[in-house]
Amino acid sequence: MSAGLLIRRRHALGLFAALGLGSQRASGFGQAGAFSVRLLATGGKLPAPPRSSGAERWAYELVRRTSAPARLAPERVSADAPKLLEEPFALWAGSGDMPPLSRPELRGLEQFLKLGGLLVVDDLDPAGGGFGKAARRELARVLPASPPVRLDASHVLFKSYYIIDRPVGRVLGPSHLDAIVRGKSAQVLFLSHDLLGALARARGGVWSLEVEPGGARQRELAIRLAVNIAMYVLCSDYKDDQVHAPFLMRRRARRGP
Amino acid sequence: MTRAWALSDDLSRAVTVGALVLAAVSILLLALETNRAERQRWLVLSSGVLGVLLVLGAVLRPVRVDVRGTELGPLLVVLVDGSRRLLLPQGEATRRAAALDASDQLRSHFGTARLVVLELVDGVARPLAEPPQVPRAVESDLSSALARVASTAGGRPEAVVVVSDGRLTRPSESADDGALERGAGGAGLPIHTVRVTEGSPPDASIRRVRTASAAVAHQPLALTVEIGCSGGLRCGRIPVAVRELRHGSAPALLASGVADVQSDLATVELGITLERAGDRILEIAIDSPPGDAVPENDRRLLPFRVTRERLRLLHVAGRPTYDVRALRTWLKSDESVDLIAFFILRSNTDDPNTDDESELALIPFPVDELFTEHLPSFDAVVLQDIDANEYKLARHLPALASYVETGGGLIMVGGPSAFAGGGYAGSALGRVLPVELSETERPFDTLELVPRVTEVGRAAPVLRGVRDVFADDLPVFVGSSTLGRSRAGSLVLWEHPHRRAGELPMPVLALGEAGDGRSIALGLDATYRLAWSELGAAAGGRAYGALWDGLLGWLMRDPRYESARVELTAPCVAGLATELSVTRLPGTPGVVQVEIERLGEVEPKPVVTREQHSSATVVTVDLGPLEEGGYAARVRIGSTPPTRLDFACEKGGEAWADSRPDPARLERISRVTGGRSVTAAEIRRLPLPTATLVATERQVTAVLPPWLWALGGSIAIGAHWYARRRAGLG
Repeated sequence: MSAGLLIRRRHALGLFAALGLGSQRASGFGQAGAFSVRLLATGGKLPAPPRSSGAERWAYELVRRTSAPARLAPERVSADAPKLLEEPFALWAGSGDMPPLSRPELRGLEQFLKLGGLLVVDDLDPAGGGFGKAARRELARVLPASPPVRLDASHVLFKSYYIIDRPVGRVLGPSHLDAIVRGKSAQVLFLSHDLLGALARARGGVWSLEVEPGGARQRELAIRLAVNIAMYVLCSDYKDDQVHAPFLMRRRARRGP
Repeated sequence: MTRAWALSDDLSRAVTVGALVLAAVSILLLALETNRAERQRWLVLSSGVLGVLLVLGAVLRPVRVDVRGTELGPLLVVLVDGSRRLLLPQGEATRRAAALDASDQLRSHFGTARLVVLELVDGVARPLAEPPQVPRAVESDLSSALARVASTAGGRPEAVVVVSDGRLTRPSESADDGALERGAGGAGLPIHTVRVTEGSPPDASIRRVRTASAAVAHQPLALTVEIGCSGGLRCGRIPVAVRELRHGSAPALLASGVADVQSDLATVELGITLERAGDRILEIAIDSPPGDAVPENDRRLLPFRVTRERLRLLHVAGRPTYDVRALRTWLKSDESVDLIAFFILRSNTDDPNTDDESELALIPFPVDELFTEHLPSFDAVVLQDIDANEYKLARHLPALASYVETGGGLIMVGGPSAFAGGGYAGSALGRVLPVELSETERPFDTLELVPRVTEVGRAAPVLRGVRDVFADDLPVFVGSSTLGRSRAGSLVLWEHPHRRAGELPMPVLALGEAGDGRSIALGLDATYRLAWSELGAAAGGRAYGALWDGLLGWLMRDPRYESARVELTAPCVAGLATELSVTRLPGTPGVVQVEIERLGEVEPKPVVTREQHSSATVVTVDLGPLEEGGYAARVRIGSTPPTRLDFACEKGGEAWADSRPDPARLERISRVTGGRSVTAAEIRRLPLPTATLVATERQVTAVLPPWLWALGGSIAIGAHWYARRRAGLG
């Protein structure tokens, strides 16, 4: 592909992102299968601005950096709505404790996970940790036989597009990820890194929140984590295939410890 | 009538013996005493002996027995070898003709016997048809036939006469005398043999083809080819070739070698790899040496049932989407699928925000390697929304088309970069897709649609799983690839409710055959909605797996997704009538249409077409006689997708593989069973077992009345007394 086309695409992406429109790649056909950050609302609660813009940026970065199509305009879905069962990905982000989920919400989440959906729990206030704890509590009611486990550093999530060493969000957070693994797939990812916060961007084109401890590199690594999660949603364990193993081993060796 | 003599049956054996002994002692003493007589010595002796005998007659009272009845000839069974081997030429005629002539001679020779003429067909003895039929049997299992011959002949025979060339399947050539006797009935029955021929024709042949293991797709298979040379033919070094007969293309050479024939026998080991599972037809052929009198056994056409350990599938996707995710997840969940996947995660226009490749977990798309070196190793290829030009696939499309024509499976899944949108219109791949592609029309549209299930789709087992879940409902999809009209012989299962391809609704899901392979065109990019939609979720997502189970199963000719079970009623023999048995699946009504095409031809034309109007579950279709070769039978029931059966018709086949007669074996069988072995010209030397008399009337008459015996005895004793006195004895 030519450099000219690249620039045009970037400009177009920027324009569409600014206008809050949908994916450019598929322009309709292909839209149905495009990655979409759907914000899960429980008890009617959703992440408030400025973090809510992080979902758009997540989709934008995915389209800009990868071949994956994505819908830039985020959707909001309720845990008890049939719409939850129309796509296999949802982001459950929030802060602080929350009331117990209603029975329809529990049923909706259970059905979503049984169909093979992937849910990311993002604690937007990692220091307090209330949301993460509450989410674990509620998910234990949904999947009582599947407690969260720590994901190994060799998990495919850390190499689904970028090779990353640890999860990073607006805060550095813990160096590992916990997940509910069913079968061979991680179905619920628990982030204590305020990933949406790292991705949130104001209309003027500046990042809405500073990253801690700080630096452009940390924000870049947070974006890479978001891209990797999206790629894991779209390709599952593709990068665990035997055909990729020798390449990835060589690259990890080159990067050093 | 027969006449016999007997003694009175009211005396016990002891009394009879006692009387005889007493009479003998009396005569002996009389003879000794007579020596002392002064005169008339002979008169004394004769009167005394007469007296003893008459008294003995009075005691034993002999009778005459006259029996009237009929003589029953002995039961003999003639077993004429009914193997196709006997159709081997012998002079101007065949061994079969000689055997039938011998059976006529036996009828004449054993004219007084009760003769049952049976035919040895594989391991069964059946009455020899009149007039005799052209044999189809491959084997001559005398042992099995003899074990059942009594029940077939209506009783235990006195003897069996076997008419054969001796190249029997059982008892085998290597059997010792004990095994031979057991193998030849083992019940003390004399077995005579008539040797119809004793000389081998000058012949080079493929005696046997063995494999060390079962044939598994993609795995090397060792073929051992045994080549024999007999009848004084000089064979030397004979080229051997193994080819696979495929549909729509010339025979593919799999292996070749040279057999160095020494001591009339050579063995060649050839390694082959069969890439496609299912019934494959292999041709194993040798070059006929000059003077070969039986060229028909220089070529074998053997069906191989090739299994697969796992389905090796290549999944290539142009971009990761939920549809790609769903298909990959489903494929990975199936342990029988060996999945090789390549997804384009980054195009040339994407900016990963790093120039350091080591930060990326991306590898180059090995398009050249995949579609040249490795392509034959895959059972099926799924191309999902990938642009052929952008990702340099276009140059490999001719090879991909050939791959399908030689038995591979192809599924093209829709999307903006699939079909015409991906540069496939006008390409070589177009000829193997089940639909036409337009280079001028818009490659896709974005209208919502609920595909309409066609009549074929409702009848096809490939969609039964989806129908079981959804009946005729389907979820809403967004957008569709532009597909043209279905190609001749292809079938449309789903069609667009609004868009048209010419005069007809546009296909959305179509199936087709191309050469040996099959292809599927699916013009949607969101089949994941069979699971992820209100309708799909209500069914627990089962419809998604059901659709892909069906599509992949049909592509790989899984019998569960065929519309019928098709098999030959008997192995096909060139020149003889061949029949197909077609068992339709429940719920597949309609006319049975059969089309037969030759394998190994580039542009095959139907050699037989049949249409059977029957509603029976099992339909037998007469194909008539077929020439030697490999064939593909396509059977279509009503509007369902066709089912295919590949089969071979041989002229010589296994029965002609070894043309040497084995007269020595016949001689040994006769020797160990107490029979006699003769040539056809010596049939008159065969012994005729004695007949059995069946009595209808028996008359017993006394030789003399008892009183007359007693009177005669008294007179003789009186005369003896007088003679003794006169002779000076006391």
